[in-house]
Amino acid sequence: MTTFLEVDKLTMRFGGLTAVDGLSFKVEHGEIHGLIGPNGAGKTTTFNMISGFYKPTEGQVRLRGEDISGLKMHEVARRGVVRTFQHSTLFAELTVMQNALVGTHMPFRPNIFAAIVGWDREDRRGAEARAGEALEFFGLDHLKSDLAGDLSHGHQRALGMAVAYASHPDVMLLDEPFTGMNPEETRQMMDLMRKLRDDGITILIVEHDMQAIMGLCDTITCMSFGKFLAEGGPEEIRKHPAVIEAYLGGARHVA
Amino acid sequence: MLDLLAQTGLNAVYAASYISLIAVGLVLIFGVMGVVNFAHGELYMAGAYAVVLLYTDFQMPFFLAIAVGMIFVGCLGLAMERALFRPLRDNPLGGLVASIGFLMILQSLAVMGFGVRMEHIPPVTQHVIEFSDRVRLPLARLFVIIAAVVLLSALWIFLKKTRFGWALRAAAQDPEAAALQGISINQTARIAMFIGAGLAGIAGALTAPLVSVNPHMGHSVIVTAFIVIIVGGVGSLEGAIVASVAYAFVHTFVTTFWDGVIADIVGLSLMLLVLIVKPTGLFGSADRA
Amino acid sequence: MRNLLIFLMACAALIALPHGLSFSQQEILVFLTINILLVSSYRLLTLTGEWSLGHVVIMGVGAYASALFTKEWGVYVPFGILMGGITAALLAVALSFPLFRMKGFYFLIGSFAAGEIIRLLWKRFRDPFGGPKGIKGIDPMPDFSIGIYDFDFFEPVSYYYLSGAVVALCLWVLWRIERSPVGLTFHAVHWQDKLAEASGVNLRAYRTLAFAIASGFAGISGALLAHYVGTINPNSFDVEVMVFVLTWAIVGGTGTFYGPILGCVVLTILNEIVLREMGFEQMRPLIYGAIMILSILFMPKGLESVVQRLFSRRVPEGAKGQEAKT
Repeated sequence: MTTFLEVDKLTMRFGGLTAVDGLSFKVEHGEIHGLIGPNGAGKTTTFNMISGFYKPTEGQVRLRGEDISGLKMHEVARRGVVRTFQHSTLFAELTVMQNALVGTHMPFRPNIFAAIVGWDREDRRGAEARAGEALEFFGLDHLKSDLAGDLSHGHQRALGMAVAYASHPDVMLLDEPFTGMNPEETRQMMDLMRKLRDDGITILIVEHDMQAIMGLCDTITCMSFGKFLAEGGPEEIRKHPAVIEAYLGGARHVA
Repeated sequence: MLDLLAQTGLNAVYAASYISLIAVGLVLIFGVMGVVNFAHGELYMAGAYAVVLLYTDFQMPFFLAIAVGMIFVGCLGLAMERALFRPLRDNPLGGLVASIGFLMILQSLAVMGFGVRMEHIPPVTQHVIEFSDRVRLPLARLFVIIAAVVLLSALWIFLKKTRFGWALRAAAQDPEAAALQGISINQTARIAMFIGAGLAGIAGALTAPLVSVNPHMGHSVIVTAFIVIIVGGVGSLEGAIVASVAYAFVHTFVTTFWDGVIADIVGLSLMLLVLIVKPTGLFGSADRA
Repeated sequence: MRNLLIFLMACAALIALPHGLSFSQQEILVFLTINILLVSSYRLLTLTGEWSLGHVVIMGVGAYASALFTKEWGVYVPFGILMGGITAALLAVALSFPLFRMKGFYFLIGSFAAGEIIRLLWKRFRDPFGGPKGIKGIDPMPDFSIGIYDFDFFEPVSYYYLSGAVVALCLWVLWRIERSPVGLTFHAVHWQDKLAEASGVNLRAYRTLAFAIASGFAGISGALLAHYVGTINPNSFDVEVMVFVLTWAIVGGTGTFYGPILGCVVLTILNEIVLREMGFEQMRPLIYGAIMILSILFMPKGLESVVQRLFSRRVPEGAKGQEAKT
């Protein structure tokens, strides 16, 4: 049986610098998988290669056995792998609802001729229903007509997730989803992520603060200086000497 | 044939000289202020009309007329900086529109002041350097070449050796970082605008006796200057000079051996090619704009 | 019901409008109608965040194509106009391959270069483009009668009705596109292309789509112009015309559908009628330039922002399409 999502000897070089060096790990279907490591370990680079933002120098990313490395971001997205962004990357000038509607681009592909003649009412209604559903899931339905740029930071993070969720993804790639959230918001967001997993969505989280996601992830992969370091359940990783070494010897103070 | 090649080469050197004067000014303004100055061709025109007025009408000595013309156009540049580009610093599209508005004003003033007809300026010197029967270089063209070499060298030394020059280069590389280091944006913008406009002005003043001076003469010049700064790399002075020379040679030779419209097409196609292959230009490094 | 009444009254006013004008003003009205389509099509391109300097040349492509189709192959004029639009759109698709490797300032300059090359090709090749003198004696719209009104398309009033109907139809299509999910995607591509891409939007395809649609309608406006004036040449579509389009769009504001139209109408009336009437013939470019500068300095969001303040409706800027039905 092929692995659901597999990173195989992934390597990225920027000029002379090797940011990610032969990294391999596997993500099982329906789990919450953490990718951690001290700052500068190459997590975000790995994330960007999986999502199609960077083209890897070497190695492959395979989804259900299909090589998706080097595809463009929208092509990766169309295969069901949808990412979020680290900062509040949103359509700040559009309303919350419109943001979510952009998220429904894949399930309800716009058709220009139908739109002009008016034969796409059903699709539009479907898209709106789906967008509303995504907003409701993330507790944003009361803010539908606000401008995304006017939202609080926590709400903006949630909206970023809602946009991704609106597209019916198989895999959600989350880039440091908890930064800027207060403890209460973090707890709520974790509950939502567990609900997403229970709905069958596989989640891959990139995070440098190990403690934050200990209680959340089913499996954690730890990397350091671009290389694979350790993998296992949260308890295993917490006690793993190499992981402790990397965090203490590396950039513990920023964690 | 050899004569024709040599003569065309001389023509190309002359073209390269005045093109590089204009393009370097345009690059300087874009680099420091981030503004595409569409009125740059009209600054060139203003330089030419300054000579028409001072030299032809007021009988001022030619070189004095050029100097006054250069300073006058430099001051026009200062006025543009203060009135247009400074208030619109955070609005690049606005700067572009304002410079187009200024272009129309200058053009219209020229029409009202001098009429649409071409001005004929009595030649400054009839002297022609003859290398052979068919290879000749009018002295007036030599002036342009010498002026370009001298002024661009002076600019080079100014940029590399003086404190102002250092500030200017820092501002061109990264305006925000430069501001953090205590380099006044207004100050560098003024200097860049004065020098940039002044160079366009002197190019216009020097070539005034050699070309037909008319209110619309800026148009073809600005197109050429754009091609040159794109090919050379937006923001790169060295690139602008090298690209001016390259463009002048290609254009002059294609014009001589084929025809002028084809030469324009070739020039524009080269620019498009550079934009496709390496949008930052041959000498461009950082991606600005 | 009330909206329908307002709509009917507006139609009646537009139909009655030319009868109160002098002949030269009627001619200006025809050009204004055509230019409204031109500037509105330009706005569709700016929705994706790209500003082109080649739009007027694309308009010219429609004009040349329609003129040649009707002249050389005897195509019926209305079909010629349509084919002019299609030709312009197809050319835009071809041009998108080199041009959309660039963005922002580089696209601006790249589109300018591409446009100038096309113009020089018209100038260089006498056959079939007629060289610098262009094409003369372009077939006019054939006259026809609808019983109560005889259309004679040499008359500006008749041509105004024709072009007005065509432009209204085109504007309706543009409006429908902007209000549709496609229009929302254009906005998305403009404001956050990375997030749009992560949502599965094919950026290149949507940029090309906007460019092709905008060019197609520009082509139709060019064809309308060609069959009215009867003669076109490379200088009919030079950068000075482009400057006008750019200023209509910017002075009007590109945040709303009506902004560029407003800019076009106000500046045309100002330039062609007010300044002419006041006898500032020679000084017109000067005053026009000054107005451009003043409006960009003191009204950076365009005339539309003034209108919005007047009606004090809070409309999210640049995002009219797809208002949530909550």
